[in-house]
Amino acid sequence: MSQPSDLKFLVVDDFSTMRRIVRGLLKEMGCTHCEEAEDGSAALHMLRSQKFDFVVSDINMPNMNGFELLKAIKADDALKRIPVLMVTAEARKEDIVLAAQSGAAGYIVKPFTKATLEEKVQKIMQKLAATA
Amino acid sequence: MTLEAPRSGATAAESDGPAADVFVQVGTLTRQLHDALRQLGVMPHLQRAADGLPDARSRLGYIADKTASAAEKVLDSVDQAKADHAHIARQTRALAKALTADPVRAVASGAVLNFVDDVEASTARIDQHLTDIMLAQDFHDLTGQVVAKVVDLANDLEVSLVKLLVQVVPPQQQHKLQEVVLHGPVVDPEGRTDVVANQEQVDDLLASLGF
Repeated sequence: MSQPSDLKFLVVDDFSTMRRIVRGLLKEMGCTHCEEAEDGSAALHMLRSQKFDFVVSDINMPNMNGFELLKAIKADDALKRIPVLMVTAEARKEDIVLAAQSGAAGYIVKPFTKATLEEKVQKIMQKLAATA
Repeated sequence: MTLEAPRSGATAAESDGPAADVFVQVGTLTRQLHDALRQLGVMPHLQRAADGLPDARSRLGYIADKTASAAEKVLDSVDQAKADHAHIARQTRALAKALTADPVRAVASGAVLNFVDDVEASTARIDQHLTDIMLAQDFHDLTGQVVAKVVDLANDLEVSLVKLLVQVVPPQQQHKLQEVVLHGPVVDPEGRTDVVANQEQVDDLLASLGF
């Protein structure tokens, strides 16, 4: 199974503080390759121009929200294998179900702990290893 | 606010054609609305609340700036404190190794005294970072006061608008006067079945759906 240090992460959030927090937590987990995007549109552009292994995305963002980004990733043959972990303040059940049905690899509600993020990332990586 | 509808609208309409006629009708309607609002007692409250909106925008902008600045300050301090902490940990491991290998040489070479100086300097820096983190929390007090004022304004506006709405809505539309629930963070999930309250509930929901 891949280690976090082997993977390149893309953190997508319109709040720079939250990007920094998620990036900091990923770094503590050993994820040394990590880039940031401020909305779905910027993220999609980066995903199509660079190689990423894992996306951690907010939902409520300007230009292109997290759901639209998720659908665009899953509709793109070159990107659809990249796992997308949603990290969001949206706590409505219908949003969670929609994210799962749209192909999200995991869903975390804010505020969250380092342990929760670590657990979800590990779980997703285990699933990836099992299906590889 | 002063609204003046044309008093001699008919004359203006006759002289300038259909466009002037529309202008007169709009002016008359505006006057009627203005008078109705005054009679309902809504106008002074609504006016005061509307006058406060630009101020509320700037207050909310202030809160956003202040909280963002505090968050950045704290994260900077944490980064620096963690770097100092990591440095002490590295130096401790190196000294332990030196002492284990040759205690006499380690002491004689000044490694122990250097380590003590190093620890003292690092802990002083860490202490300063912690103080900075503590000071960065001042945003809470400042923004709390501003939030209270914006909440007062929002309350005034809500009371005025609800009063207006209740007065003008047709009886058959009364049932449509329902509370609008905004999305985003759930402030109070108590008694709601459409939202989750924590990560455990998210996981349970996804598991129940087979994800």
